[in-house]
Amino acid sequence: MACPFPYTYVSCPCADTPIPDPARKRRSRESPQKSTPERTNASSGQDTQEVKPPHTQDEQDEEEEEEQTFDPRSPRSNFSLYPPEQLLYCEDCHQIKCPRCITEEIVSWYCPNCLFETPSSMVRGDANRCGRNCFNCPVCTAPLSVSTIENVTGNGNQQGPWVLSCGYCLWTTLDIGIKFDKPTNIRNQLQKMTDSLSGPAFDTRSRQGSRAFGDLKSPLSNLASIEEPATTQDGAEARFATLKNFYRSQISETSTSPSDPMGSDFGFSSPGALNRLMSLYASSSRLSGLYGGNKKQKPKPPVMREAINASEGLRIASEDGDASIIERLASPDCGWDGVASLSQRTEQSPDVRFSHDLLPLPVLLRTKRAKRCKSCKHILVKPETKPQSTRFRIRLIALSYIPLPTLRPLTLPSSSLVPSPAPDLNALAPLRPVHVLLTLKNHMFDPVRITLATPSVTPGRVASKVTVLSPQFDIGPNSDVWDEALQGASAPITTDPRLRAAEKVPEAGKVWDKGRNWTTVVLEVVPGTLPGSEAEGGKEGADEDELAVASQQDEDVLEIPVFVHMEWDAEAQLEQQNVGKEAKPGDLVARELAYWMVLGVGRITASL
Amino acid sequence: MATLKPPSATTRSSSSSGTPTGPPKAPLKADPTATISDTVIFHGKHSVTIGAGTVIHPRVRFYAYEGPIVIGDGCIIGEKTIIGASPSSSSSSSSSIETPTRLSYFVTIGPQCTIKPGAHIHSSSAIEALCTLNRHADIGSHSKICSGCEIPERGSVPEWTVVWGSGIGQRRRRAREAKTPGPAVTVAAQVAQIPAPGPAPSGKVIEDARLMVLQKEREILGRMLVPAGPKKR
Repeated sequence: MACPFPYTYVSCPCADTPIPDPARKRRSRESPQKSTPERTNASSGQDTQEVKPPHTQDEQDEEEEEEQTFDPRSPRSNFSLYPPEQLLYCEDCHQIKCPRCITEEIVSWYCPNCLFETPSSMVRGDANRCGRNCFNCPVCTAPLSVSTIENVTGNGNQQGPWVLSCGYCLWTTLDIGIKFDKPTNIRNQLQKMTDSLSGPAFDTRSRQGSRAFGDLKSPLSNLASIEEPATTQDGAEARFATLKNFYRSQISETSTSPSDPMGSDFGFSSPGALNRLMSLYASSSRLSGLYGGNKKQKPKPPVMREAINASEGLRIASEDGDASIIERLASPDCGWDGVASLSQRTEQSPDVRFSHDLLPLPVLLRTKRAKRCKSCKHILVKPETKPQSTRFRIRLIALSYIPLPTLRPLTLPSSSLVPSPAPDLNALAPLRPVHVLLTLKNHMFDPVRITLATPSVTPGRVASKVTVLSPQFDIGPNSDVWDEALQGASAPITTDPRLRAAEKVPEAGKVWDKGRNWTTVVLEVVPGTLPGSEAEGGKEGADEDELAVASQQDEDVLEIPVFVHMEWDAEAQLEQQNVGKEAKPGDLVARELAYWMVLGVGRITASL
Repeated sequence: MATLKPPSATTRSSSSSGTPTGPPKAPLKADPTATISDTVIFHGKHSVTIGAGTVIHPRVRFYAYEGPIVIGDGCIIGEKTIIGASPSSSSSSSSSIETPTRLSYFVTIGPQCTIKPGAHIHSSSAIEALCTLNRHADIGSHSKICSGCEIPERGSVPEWTVVWGSGIGQRRRRAREAKTPGPAVTVAAQVAQIPAPGPAPSGKVIEDARLMVLQKEREILGRMLVPAGPKKR
C-alpha cells in the first residue's frame, strides 16, 4: 500500500448489506489450501473462541453473520475502507455513508475559468463547454488569453483585431490564421467562422473529393437518385447533420406502413412513433379488414438504404487524399512537429491531422454536486449554488460524529524492559511486541463511551496477536477550549501525566492519556511470522518464492481490524418527538453507533 | 527594493580583488550601461563580456573556466542562473580547447537556469525558469524554451520554435508569416456564402509585442536592481 504507515481507515457498513456473498464463499473454498499447518498450530493456542483461524471462521460465519470479524484483506473490504475524512454521515439513518452509498445530483454548471454559471438548459447546446471567452490552448491546454494586436502595430487605443494567445507555448490564433473583431463573445465569433463544421476539411480533400466522385459516378449511375455533390458540405458537423437527417427520413419512410411492426415498434425516431399513432387511429375504423386485406397489399416492407452521395452525408475517401496527406507529412514545413499528437487530437474533430488544423478549445464546464443518502434520500452535502462560493449549506461529514482515530508508535524510555528505539514501521520484526498508541478524538458536543474490540489474532495468513490494553473508555465532549483551560487550573490531572510520561508503562485496564476531547489507549501488537520465512519454521534460509508472493499480496502489512462501539446521549430530534409524545426537545436519547475500522501499523519483515 | 539589495558579504563579487586562496576572478568587460547586481559571481580564467543595456540579476554565477562568456546587448539574466561549469565538474582534458558560451542580443534567461559551456543562444530567444541547456546546445533566434525543459548535449533548436512540456519536451513551430485561415474557416465561408475573413496579420506582430514588453521590463529592472543609477565597472 502506497500509504505511509501508520494509517487508519474506517469501514463503511454498506459493504455488508447485500446478503448473497459469492466472494466469501469462494474465499472459504480457497483458504484451506492456502493456510499452512504452521498457521493452524499458531492459532490453536488461542484461548478465546471469538476468533478462529480463517478457514474455520469462514465456515462458521455463514451461519453467524453478526459475529464475523472484519477482514481487511477480503476482496470486498477494498470497497468499504475509506480514510475517515472522506466519509459522510446520515443523520436520518444514523449511519456512516461512503461514496458508494450516496447519490450525487448536479446543483450547477460553471466554467472554472470565468466562474460564470451556465444554466442547465444551455449546457447541452454549448457542448458542455464555456460559451464565453474561455479557451484552452489546443497545443498545450494552457488557458488562452484575449489580447489585442492593434496597439503593437499602430495606434494605442484598444481596438482592432484581437487574438487568443497562449502564455506558455506562445500559440496564437494567428498560427491558424484567425483573428477576432471584438474581444467579447469569442465563442460565437469562432463558431461563425467555422460555422456548420468545427472540423477542418482539407482543401486538398475538397478538391480531390469532387474528382473522386466523378470517377465514382459511372459505376453508380444506374441509381436514379444520384446527384452532383455539394462540394462545400464537407465539414464533419455538417456531414453528421445531413447523415442524421437522411437516416431519420429513411426510418420514417420505411416504417410508414401500419402493418409493419418492425418499423414502427422500434421507435427509432419521433416521426415513426407519430406514424404508428396516426395509423392506429386511421385503421380503427376498418379494423375488420386489418388482418385480411392489409397483408396482401404490402407483402414486402420497403428496404432502408444507405447514404450514397454527398448530399446525403456520404464522404468518399479518396486514395489521392491519403497520398497528399503523406506528402504533407513528409514536407519540411510540417515534419514531426507539425503533426497533431494523439492527446491533441482526442479533443478535436476526428479529421484533424496537423497542428495547423487545431482549433482553440472552449473550457469544459464543471459541476457543483449535492449528495444524498441512497436509502433515505436525505441531503448530506449541499454546496452553495454560486460558483464563486466555496461554502456549503449542508455538509454532514462523518468526522463530526465519529471520533477521529490516529495511530502512532509508542517509544518507551530505556529504563523499561522493552528496548527503546522507535520501531521502524516499515520493518517490524516478527514475534517482537510493539506498542502503538491509538488516539480517538471526539468532535461531538456530547461525551462518548467507547468500546473497542479486536480479534486477538489478525485475519489472514500472517497472524499477529493484538491486545487492546483498555478496551472500554470515555472521551470527553468537544466543549469550549476555554473550559478546559479554566478547569486545568483546578485539576492538574491533564497536564500531569504528560510530564510523567517518561516513567509510564503500558498497563492493562488503564487509559494511557486523556485530554479534553480525546483519549489515548495502548495496543500491544505481536507481529506474526511471514509464511516461509526463517523465523517461522526454523528452516534454514527463507523460502524466497513464498516470501515474494507474500510481499506481493501485501500479506506482510500488519493491519488490525478494530470494532468500535460508541454510545452517547444526544438531544432528541424532531422525529423522536413525533414518535414518543412525552419526549421534549431537551430530552436526551441514548444513541449508539458501531463500525469497523482498520489500523495499518506497519510492514513485517521476514527475518527476526 | 530591500530584497534586491546585496547582502553584506560581497567579498566574492567581482568588485573585490580575488583573494589568492579563492577561485580565480574572471576578467570582466562590461558595457557601462549594463546593470549588474553586486552579488553576481565571475569566476574562471577566461573573459566575460557583457553588452549594453543587459540586466543581470543577483547571485548569477559565471564560470569562465572552459572558455570566454559573451553576453550580447539587452539581455536579462534571471537570478541564481549558472552560466558555464564550475571547475569541479569540468574535466582537465577540456581545458586545452576553448569553448565559448555566447548569448546574442535580447536574450531572456529565467531564474535558476543552467547553461553549460559551449551553448549558443541566438537573438531574441527566451529561456524560462529552471531550464537546462547542456553543452554545445544551440538555440535559434525567436525561440522559447519553456520552464523546466532540457536541451540535450549538442542539441539544436531551430529558430521560431517553442520547446514545451517536460524534460526534452515537445516542439512547436511558431507562426512567423501571415497564415491563411484554416480550411475549417474557408469551407465555412463557402457554405455560408459570405466572404472569407480578411487575412490575419502575420504571427510576427506577437513577437514584436513581446520584444517591446521585454524592452520595458529591462528598463524598469535596471532602475530596480541598482537604485543609484547604472553602475560603472
